[in-house]
Amino acid sequence: MLFRSRLQLLLLMSPATLLLAMLTLYPISQILINAFSYVDYVGAERQFVGMDNFVELSEDWFFAGAIKNSLSFSVLASLLQVGLGLALAVLFDRQFAGRRFALPVIIYPMMLSTLVCSAIWRAWYHYDFGFLNNALLSLGLEPVQWLFDPDMALFSVMLVDIWQWTPMAFLIILAGLQSIPADIKDAALTDGARGWRRFRHITLPLIMPQVLLALLLRSIDTFKLFDKVYALTGGGPGNSTETLSLFIYKQGFKFFNLGLASAAALLMLAIACALSAVYAWRYVGAKS
Amino acid sequence: MSAIKPTSAPAFSDSVAAPFSDVSRLSARTLGFYLALGVTLAFFALPIVWMAGIAFTPSGEYVSDNLSLLPAHPTLAHFEVLWRDGFPGRLGNTLIVAVGATLLALSLGFLASYALVRFRFPRRLDHAFLLLVLVIKMMPPIVVAIPLFQLLKGLGLLDSKLGLILVYQVYTLPFCIWMLLSFVRDVPLSLEEAASLEGAGLLRRLWHIVLPLCGPGLAATFIFTLIMAWNEFLFALLYLSTPSHFTLPLYVSNFITENETFWGQLMGIGLLSSLPMLLMAGYVQRYLLRGFAMQMK
Repeated sequence: MLFRSRLQLLLLMSPATLLLAMLTLYPISQILINAFSYVDYVGAERQFVGMDNFVELSEDWFFAGAIKNSLSFSVLASLLQVGLGLALAVLFDRQFAGRRFALPVIIYPMMLSTLVCSAIWRAWYHYDFGFLNNALLSLGLEPVQWLFDPDMALFSVMLVDIWQWTPMAFLIILAGLQSIPADIKDAALTDGARGWRRFRHITLPLIMPQVLLALLLRSIDTFKLFDKVYALTGGGPGNSTETLSLFIYKQGFKFFNLGLASAAALLMLAIACALSAVYAWRYVGAKS
Repeated sequence: MSAIKPTSAPAFSDSVAAPFSDVSRLSARTLGFYLALGVTLAFFALPIVWMAGIAFTPSGEYVSDNLSLLPAHPTLAHFEVLWRDGFPGRLGNTLIVAVGATLLALSLGFLASYALVRFRFPRRLDHAFLLLVLVIKMMPPIVVAIPLFQLLKGLGLLDSKLGLILVYQVYTLPFCIWMLLSFVRDVPLSLEEAASLEGAGLLRRLWHIVLPLCGPGLAATFIFTLIMAWNEFLFALLYLSTPSHFTLPLYVSNFITENETFWGQLMGIGLLSSLPMLLMAGYVQRYLLRGFAMQMK
């Protein structure tokens, strides 16, 4: 039975609906207008300019780099995080001494603010006295310009993200592993399936939904990347770590180029919507 | 529900899986397991241990080419500096903003998710609403940052705690709605129907039946949302300008200057600001996994 009172429904829904509308529908409508306008920030005047902002973006070398960086970061980082998280979850899907204390250790990075994470890793990446280069030197290897080598910087940022967020993929997949009924595991055992075969043919298909969910959530999250590049590299060296979020931030809040920033935001929203459409199709569509 | 407790569910370890295989192979596998575990734990724990170490290390001592993680001469000097520098104020700001944003999102989200589960919506508007919530949850916050700046400016809420609490709803409210849905679904409808027949109105049912039964779910959602709001950086960076209004994630930037980075103080903040979260997460550990299992329903 479902309750039917329209008045009660309205009472329950309106606070959340109004707040969300104010915080998202209004801004999105503003972006839609601004993306096709020239906005004079000081005079707060707006002039319709058609596709000009998008034309300018398509010719902007930094914007092209930002799209490329955001997409490659998102794809690679989420694959690595889910791969590692899966391996970790398999490792933890059993009882062992100290498991109760090992789990909090692994999820601690998630509790840290990204800025603190970035500060730790900035120190670790320091060329002269950073922990990583000291470790390399003690092994007789060459030190690395972690954040100042254009070919290296994006991967260095990625390593920090992997450190902080692999635990999330791990938790989602572990939750899946632990929800596999014991009798399925027993049945697999009596059939003699063990090791890799058991994992490949029995375990993996059962946790595929969680693996895909982790992949989607992580790719959407990594696509937004802002704090870490802001704190670790500021987008540099050159534009080797400039992401879409950073590009929009700079255009909007440093150069006050609101039209261009809105056009970029609109494109970013479109990409994010495409990503979440996959999610919606997979998880909402399946239920309704 | 205590999936993490070692007592629940029979162990599915390889020593059980292969009781008759020969002993040397078994111990090699066990060794491999502990090796993998050790490497993993080191990867996740070393930066944290380093952070804790530096927080107690006198300035200058760690600028050397050694790999020691713990201070030779432990000191509380960095914490003293933080205390005098106004750390308590920033902690207070963070507490008010994060708890405020969480409570607001939790209460509005609870009402909405209850309605979504229990009420018949005209024209499948519930699906439309859920889809909207999903899109918002996935939306990069920078996309709406500029219009929200203007909105806050118009409301006179720039550089204020209330303004931050409000804009944090972009992250927190969709998350709460989505996560609470499945907890509300678990409340038996029959209980409510019985109460309804005895004349209990909406508010009484919500307060006396649904709320208590959703307790664990609300607690888990509270923790997740609090962590999210506690560590939020982008909106705080964009909408706060007075240093005394800063939240902890912003406060961090005080200690990275043109000339010097104050690693000791930085790591002190890291330690102090993450400990409450960690303690709380430890307390609700058994809900953590369930929370993640819920997110996908």
